[in-house]
Amino acid sequence: MKLTGKVWKFPQHDISTGLIRRQMYNHLPPQEQGKHCMEALDPSFASKVAPGDFIVAGTNFGCGSSTPAHYSIAALGIPAIIAESFGALFFSNCAGGALWPVACPGILDLVETGDTLEIDTDTLVVRNVGSARSLQGRALPEIYRGMILAGGEKPYLRERLRREAAG
Amino acid sequence: MAGMHALHKIIANRTRPSLAKVSPGEFVEIEPDVFGVIVGVNASDVKRLAADLEELGIDRIPLRDRIYAVADHASPAPTVAIAGAQKAFREFFKAHGIRTFDGGAGVSHLVLCEEGLVRPGMLGIAIDSHAPTMGAIGMYACSLGGGRLTLYAIGRYVIEVPKVTLVRVTGTLPPGVAGRDASLYVNGKLGQRGAYNHAVEFAGSFIESLSMDMRFTFTNMGTEMGAVASYIQPDRTTLEWVRQRTSEPFTVFETDADYVYDTVHEVDVSGIGPQIAVPHAPDDVRPVDEVAGRKVDQAYIGSCASGRLEDMAETARVLKGRKVHPDVRLIVTPGSREVLKAATELGYIQVMHEANAIVTSANCGACPGLHGGILGPGDVAITSITRNFEGRMGPGGEIYLASPATVAASAIAGCITNPLAA
Ligand code: SF4
Repeated sequence: MKLTGKVWKFPQHDISTGLIRRQMYNHLPPQEQGKHCMEALDPSFASKVAPGDFIVAGTNFGCGSSTPAHYSIAALGIPAIIAESFGALFFSNCAGGALWPVACPGILDLVETGDTLEIDTDTLVVRNVGSARSLQGRALPEIYRGMILAGGEKPYLRERLRREAAG
Repeated sequence: MAGMHALHKIIANRTRPSLAKVSPGEFVEIEPDVFGVIVGVNASDVKRLAADLEELGIDRIPLRDRIYAVADHASPAPTVAIAGAQKAFREFFKAHGIRTFDGGAGVSHLVLCEEGLVRPGMLGIAIDSHAPTMGAIGMYACSLGGGRLTLYAIGRYVIEVPKVTLVRVTGTLPPGVAGRDASLYVNGKLGQRGAYNHAVEFAGSFIESLSMDMRFTFTNMGTEMGAVASYIQPDRTTLEWVRQRTSEPFTVFETDADYVYDTVHEVDVSGIGPQIAVPHAPDDVRPVDEVAGRKVDQAYIGSCASGRLEDMAETARVLKGRKVHPDVRLIVTPGSREVLKAATELGYIQVMHEANAIVTSANCGACPGLHGGILGPGDVAITSITRNFEGRMGPGGEIYLASPATVAASAIAGCITNPLAA
């Protein structure tokens, strides 16, 4: 499957879950959290971004606490995050939330905000449509891929339990 | 082929389907030996979990015999809302046959180790960022990220096999300088990212000389170096301690002689004095003398970093025959009921009462800022807790981290004080 969308680039490194979605919004319903996505770094982000767009980020995106900050990203209809690298807890939270976390060293040099990016979710090759340059993203563990394709942790488990019951 | 680290052998042992070898960077599916959970503070959290399990048709949780719930945060409940949440959690655990330790048992990592429910060679996952503390007994213990529902529903979890950083600590401490001082010193040297996303192993002659109490302090503070797991290779001290607590069998895994560590740090603690981490970073560590004289409003001894019997002994030694300064509240929260009982029998608690300290039941206490010593704006606290991030014990409070002896000496003087000079 290929995903194509516009890039919003946050070139900073070490963007913590608390900066992605401030802890004070943790109690809001997941859909509501979208309004506050990335507001600590760009207060107008939620109003500019469109469903299908991507976030591109530096190293260690989503470091810090395991708070489900990915809700705020998913709520905006963003299907994938492409970063130089990810914080481990955030990475696993993304998979459970059906968001593609694509670790892709070199991505900051590949694209700028406004560029169009294409992700092949089978191979995790990401391509800057304008320049036609591409990079290989890091392979995802099978279970995470399964969760994302199924639409999240719960639908994945439903399928897996059905499969295992069928033997 | 390069050898394997003991931690990698522990992980490989729990992979499903079973793998003979795992390598750093690989993601593997495992079945944990133990899953530690907490009696939470948000009722909607457990209601959602129960509804999700019901929707998936799970009425018998596969790991139910190896899940342990501990009411350590905000327990006994400080508010009506939290009391309601804890009730909902307890009912959920009871319905599923999950053993629950209620408020007063102590901090989860310490309770699981003391009860012999975790043992060397095991793999444990716990809902708490200081789960790596349990690595002091020679197990792989990490904090839960995403995947809680998967663990409850099918008993599986995904681990990214970590690289291992070795911290070799050598030297001997001058009299009156504590294990916690050495631990703070090491955190200061390595920094908050010193073992980021790695597992950290503590070794060397200094670590070997430590009691289990102080080993827990070291593995606990691995979290403040960004480590996903902490480890100390079991030796005589470990095995004696574990065998006093359980007759269940366990396996000690050894690191192969040809294993190559990703990073190695050497730290010599010879001749260091009492150390202190100043607001607001656990790695902003200095000699206590640099900030001596700073007035404090609250002094707090406890937490999973420094709530053990040796910490209670140090506290009592400093407090004996003295009184807490009238402008200061000194709160002591033992790490577990075992510690509280032993400290009572040994007379330490009586010494604390004589000194006008406030002694509480065993739990997380004031450490997470939920009850039992919340700071008000402008309050300055000297504590033995794990981290001094801004606002942790209450918005607007300032937190210094030090050894129990330094905290106790400062409580008496009313200002930050080097216990060797007091
Ligand atoms: S004592 Fe503090 S650091 Fe330890 S588990 Fe409790 S809240 Fe966390």
